[in-house]
Amino acid sequence: MSGALEGVRIIDSTTMVAMPTALHIMADMGAEVIKVDSHTLFRTEGGVFPENDPGERHWDRDGSFNTLQRSKIGVTLNLKEDDSVRAFKDIIRVSDVIIENNRAGTMDRLGLGYEELRQIKPDLIYLSNTGFGYTGPWRQYAGIGRMFELTCGLSQFAGYPEEGPRRVGISFFDQHVGWMAVFAVLAALHHRNSTGEGQWVDFAMYQIGVSTMGDALMDYISNGRSGQSMGNRHNYLAPHGVYQCKGDDRWIAITAETDDQWDALVKEMGSPEWAEEDGFADPILRLRNQDELDGHISEWTKDKDQTALMNQLQKAGVPAMAVMDARDFTLDPHITDREFFERVAHHPDTDIGTRLYFGRPWKMSKTPSYIRRPAPMLGEHNEYVLSDLLGIDEADIARMYETNAIGKEPVNPGSARGTNLEKQIAEGVIAGIDPDYRKKLRI
Amino acid sequence: MTTTTGLGEYKVLDLSTGTAGPFAARLFGDYGSDVIKIESPGVGDPSRRLGPFHHDEPHPEKSLSYFYLNNNKRGVTLNLETAEGREIFKEMLKKADGVVESYDPGYLDSLGLGYEEMEQINPRLVVTSITPFGRSGPYRDFQGNDLLYQAMGGIMYTSGAYNREPLKHGHPQTLWMGGIIAAYATSAALFTARLNGQGQNIDLSMAEVAASHHYTSSIRYIYNGSIERRAPKIESGSTKGTKFEGIVSSQDGHIGPTFQKGRQRASFAEYVGLLDRADLDDARFATEADRQQHLEELDEILLPVLKEWKKFDYFNTTMSEGFVAAVVQTSEDLVNCPQLEEREYFTEIDHPVIGKTKIPGEVFRLPKAPWSAHRPAPVLGQHNAEIYSDLGYSKDDLLQLRRQGVI
Repeated sequence: MSGALEGVRIIDSTTMVAMPTALHIMADMGAEVIKVDSHTLFRTEGGVFPENDPGERHWDRDGSFNTLQRSKIGVTLNLKEDDSVRAFKDIIRVSDVIIENNRAGTMDRLGLGYEELRQIKPDLIYLSNTGFGYTGPWRQYAGIGRMFELTCGLSQFAGYPEEGPRRVGISFFDQHVGWMAVFAVLAALHHRNSTGEGQWVDFAMYQIGVSTMGDALMDYISNGRSGQSMGNRHNYLAPHGVYQCKGDDRWIAITAETDDQWDALVKEMGSPEWAEEDGFADPILRLRNQDELDGHISEWTKDKDQTALMNQLQKAGVPAMAVMDARDFTLDPHITDREFFERVAHHPDTDIGTRLYFGRPWKMSKTPSYIRRPAPMLGEHNEYVLSDLLGIDEADIARMYETNAIGKEPVNPGSARGTNLEKQIAEGVIAGIDPDYRKKLRI
Repeated sequence: MTTTTGLGEYKVLDLSTGTAGPFAARLFGDYGSDVIKIESPGVGDPSRRLGPFHHDEPHPEKSLSYFYLNNNKRGVTLNLETAEGREIFKEMLKKADGVVESYDPGYLDSLGLGYEEMEQINPRLVVTSITPFGRSGPYRDFQGNDLLYQAMGGIMYTSGAYNREPLKHGHPQTLWMGGIIAAYATSAALFTARLNGQGQNIDLSMAEVAASHHYTSSIRYIYNGSIERRAPKIESGSTKGTKFEGIVSSQDGHIGPTFQKGRQRASFAEYVGLLDRADLDDARFATEADRQQHLEELDEILLPVLKEWKKFDYFNTTMSEGFVAAVVQTSEDLVNCPQLEEREYFTEIDHPVIGKTKIPGEVFRLPKAPWSAHRPAPVLGQHNAEIYSDLGYSKDDLLQLRRQGVI
């Protein structure tokens, strides 16, 4: 069976996280995504390497890169060379969409801006992703994913209430922006299919992030209210928190959104006397007295196993979930049953073997998506793209290799090293290393 | 108004409640689709009872969450638990392209309205089902909410203070994430349906939405067995002992300072020069590697300096020189943001109960099929007469249906 986007060809002229995310999703859905890379630019220095070893081809071995570039075709085009710029335009001629995330103006300088490219491909869909958009006083400001959780207004709600804002997660808006880019490209494709028109999409990370703050913005517009650090609490409901369980750094999230859920929780706790007190009789009182309530619940959870308690509470109709670390989640029976992770065998030259990569949070019943191929090795599909797709003859391709217009090895490979895991354990950056991870993952 | 181009050729039925499904359906409405929100008679989407409310007055037509999430839709009431209600719904399915629903797994099947039945009625239909944990697997019937998704997906275990409870984002962000994902997945399936006439069912798991966001931790485990924890680096910046690169206090709020300039790390001399404090230049902090060796001293020197800056002065001064920086913007800042103002982000809409109000607007600029605010969120059942008379029901029929509790 074919994927939902079979037959669509997309050029990926992007870096970082947000746009590569959008593009691997479309590639998983069957679009042919051609990642235009460069062997003359620095590819990776650090990284998450298999068995923490950069190996011989470290530029092909970074786990984040391999996650974000999976399912794509890879070609190296050094855009300082005319041959490569010409090839880039030739790919445009046979493509539907291009996504790029250079600073405003860069593509124009390369002769690859929308106005130029629409001359050779009138119905081209051209999405330019920038931090703040092509207009406005902030248009030239750096747009780095990890800064947007602050600037988009999300951090005003984050952090322990008595401390103020703090970072949560990693680079929070990159994925939002990538997902929305898929929606934007599809809207443009629908439009092209019904009218024959292409267009240029001015796509600003900042605006995507702000659009997910709608209820908060309305609260300011209507009521003059801004946010404050919420911890794990909810504006209107209690209990709503995480509670310590038995073991080292084990926690469980528990909430009660309705009276039924509260009654069920009380019953599971063995109907303790404190729970029958007036202070917890209705949702408003539970919210008002939540410090005391959290204390009681913590007292009850502290000697319980987080997984057993989660199952017990959910069975009784109480929303509860173990706070999972990466191992818990990756090996979780539900996640395994759903086949959320997919196994991908890499090219032997990479010496990566087989790894698991996360799939997508949805399943389509008739057009399955899956990881079509591992992330391309540097220049892996140069011949496919230049010869099969564009019909460039062998001699010209050979010349392009000679002039460094294309290549399969980085001109400046740099040096890469693994992570100092011992230091990270000492600093608490990682909780530990599971020596049996390969066995557990069957890789 | 809705158009016949772009997403304007689609009709989407929004049976969903809460945030994720309604946001997905609204994005279709934003870019021109005819979206019909279907709510239960008398009650409506539970988010109508969820604050914040306009002028803080609890009222089913004044929930600001409901309002924001349901602009650009028409609204009807329909009781799917009655036979007549189901017949009307089936009539609506015949003319629809997409359905977004967020009922518990199995509920629609129990009414005889599962995907198989819907497919019989309209094989081109794309039905997107949003559930907490997906429609299969051992947790399929578990209850879910934003806190639980952040707990399962790995966001919390790696966020917060080292020795304190794991921390989530205060805003229920996974729900919004689910909305964006439901929107693009639905759109992709519509793309196929338009080409080959074949609709399908999409099974979306909110817990997996959160996990898709936080994939970096699982890569570390899968590549080298290490298990990320709530790190001192999150506690206080990039490395133990410093708050730099974390969130720090300014004179009037909070900022996110960094030494990053373009893709490089700037010298200390350049950074303090930019802050007009060249006197602070100090060989101990010259390069990134040097700074890593003297993190606590760096904090001691810089945090008091940053505390003197006004947040937007810091942001504009550093960003216009190519540095990477952020401001913790409050809702007030956002509503008054000069960047959003120049891009005409905020627009106005006139709601029958709330009145004329400013609203956040254009998500991305799609010039040939642009974003528009063409319709305020419906009051409960607002378009019953309009939509049901299109299906051939007379005024008398509608009165009868209302009496029977069908609409």
